[in-house]
Amino acid sequence: MIGTDLQIAARSLAKHTKRNLLLGAAIASVTALLVVLGGLAAGIKAAMLESATTLMTGHVNVGGFYKVTSGTAAPLVGEADRVMAEVRRSVPELDYLTARGRGWAKAVAEIGSMDLVLAGLDIRNETGFRRVVQPVAGKLDDLAQPGAILIFEDQAKRLGAHVGDALTLSAPTARGMSNTADVKVAVVARSVGLLSSFTAFLEAETLRQLYQLKPGTTGAVHVYLEDPKAAGAVAARLRGALADAGWRVMEADPRPYWEKLMAKVNNEDWTGQKLDVTTWEDEVSFMSWILTAVQWLSGILISILLVIVVVGIMNTLAIAIRERTREIGTLRAIGMQRRKVLWLFLLEAGLLGLAGTLAGAAAGVAIAAGLDAAHIAVPESVQMFLLQRQLTLVVRPATVAAYVAGIAAATTLAAVYPAWHAAKLRPITAMHHVG
Amino acid sequence: MRRAAALALLLALGPRPAGALSQADTDKIVRTVDERQRNSGDYKALAYMEAKEKDKNDVVYELVVYRRDQDQKLMFLFLEPKSEQGKGYLRIDKNLWFYDPSVGRWERRTERERIGGTDTRRGDLDESRLAEEYVASWEADEKLGRYDVHRLLLKARPDVDVAFPVIRLWVDQATFNVLKRQEMALSGRLMRTSYYPRWKKIHSESKKGDVWFPEEMRFYDEIEKANQTLILIKSVDLRTLDANLFTKAWLESKSR
Repeated sequence: MIGTDLQIAARSLAKHTKRNLLLGAAIASVTALLVVLGGLAAGIKAAMLESATTLMTGHVNVGGFYKVTSGTAAPLVGEADRVMAEVRRSVPELDYLTARGRGWAKAVAEIGSMDLVLAGLDIRNETGFRRVVQPVAGKLDDLAQPGAILIFEDQAKRLGAHVGDALTLSAPTARGMSNTADVKVAVVARSVGLLSSFTAFLEAETLRQLYQLKPGTTGAVHVYLEDPKAAGAVAARLRGALADAGWRVMEADPRPYWEKLMAKVNNEDWTGQKLDVTTWEDEVSFMSWILTAVQWLSGILISILLVIVVVGIMNTLAIAIRERTREIGTLRAIGMQRRKVLWLFLLEAGLLGLAGTLAGAAAGVAIAAGLDAAHIAVPESVQMFLLQRQLTLVVRPATVAAYVAGIAAATTLAAVYPAWHAAKLRPITAMHHVG
Repeated sequence: MRRAAALALLLALGPRPAGALSQADTDKIVRTVDERQRNSGDYKALAYMEAKEKDKNDVVYELVVYRRDQDQKLMFLFLEPKSEQGKGYLRIDKNLWFYDPSVGRWERRTERERIGGTDTRRGDLDESRLAEEYVASWEADEKLGRYDVHRLLLKARPDVDVAFPVIRLWVDQATFNVLKRQEMALSGRLMRTSYYPRWKKIHSESKKGDVWFPEEMRFYDEIEKANQTLILIKSVDLRTLDANLFTKAWLESKSR
């Protein structure tokens, strides 16, 4: 029965080829646009996850603050080995973990100077680092040398520094005393978007000396999971486990550590050590507006186009019903039920919507794949926001299926009113209709 | 090995160089430097701060410095430039607070904060407490330009938090005014050199004597050589200030 209905709907659509092709093309265009914009947003998110989890955060972080006085806080975690042991015990989803020093300093070179967020790392323990950070000059292994620093291309340009050049890092210690470290540029790496514009990597022991830290003290323990999606649940569990083990643990607060350091921790009246467990999304929340903006822009654009398509469908069906009023009257006169008339018109719209969205999805996937394969260079001014040097689009089948289902459903729903209008026509009136 | 140890002991206990000051004399000089600038009462001054930084436009700040030395209270209120108007620092107990009227929020800052982002530190505008914060040793008596000076090396006392752990002072032998000061980082690297070319005195009722203050201070950043800050202290007033002056509410009211 449904086969016959489909045949009737398809024939009706084919009878008005030009009009339906135009409408189908509009639906296809909206779907294709949605697929491409969705791919771009997913690409930004994937790039953000990859660069952020390499440069400044694990999937989950056990960071914290040490306050010598209520007004002097430093991003430090004491007894890092004990913390790491607790993480290993409480997180079966663990892939690997690393200890990273945290700090900031003014870097001064012969030509220029700039403020840098410093991460102290032991390159031998950084499994994911080599995947993301690509040296333009120097070797990553040289970062194991005392006094070695890795800076990114943009920073090198600003400082006028090359591999082998000396930099002076000037920063206050955890107690607020001025200190300096003379370091050597060991690696200049390719920039990877916004994060690499202000982050530099220093050999862990050199960072420890700059801040006069005790052995066993670090900035944060970065926890990498087999499935990054589990980060929220793991963070919540770790908070409880660390508190049970005797640490003072801060309430969950979805802000990066430096924002808490500047705006929150210093204003609180406590001293000593507190741990702070965050997810990678918390640590890059200051950049999430980029993703939100892309999603909002896509949403607004798609909504406008969808409204146009819906109005188009309603209009087209209204015209079709007007043209086919006598036909409807005849069908009703030979016994076709109202429900059946409604069903046939909805089926027509549904079929048109499905064909349009499928064609659009196919075109969108092809365009996204083409753009991704073309490795189009992103202009420098936009790199900061897209967090990519080359345009990367990530299209997931499940997302495309959701777009297809959503738009097809919207176009079908748009046909409800005209179809209902057709169904409620009285046979005698319809058969007398002229036009 | 034993001979080397004996030699080291001999050098340590041996006679001081000719003309060297004893530890007691050295400590006395530092105490005198502090004492001459001590007021014991209230202090108000208008300060002009000109900051020059590499690749940036020069900025001139105008601020009022309020002090109540008896209980170590301190407050800065920025008057100029327009973008800084109403901003201020307030020290209550051991905490330095910063107020920004554009966001209407107080933030606790470290006492070693760079004031207004310049090379000036809180200590440059605060009462001199060198004897309290540092242990001094005599280095040399020498000439600084046409002045005869004592050159002293000061190291921060354990558990005292100061911006610079080591400082070197050139103190005028005739007046005990500090003429030059070098500040070093923990690494030993020279961070900042300051010059105090002009000193002035004003009579203090609370002290029942004269209070000396540097009318001009010049700070040269030794890490970023092009950066320098000039501070001029004007209109020093030692009359008693309102009792409720050193409060957050008072500073907030100035920007309303």
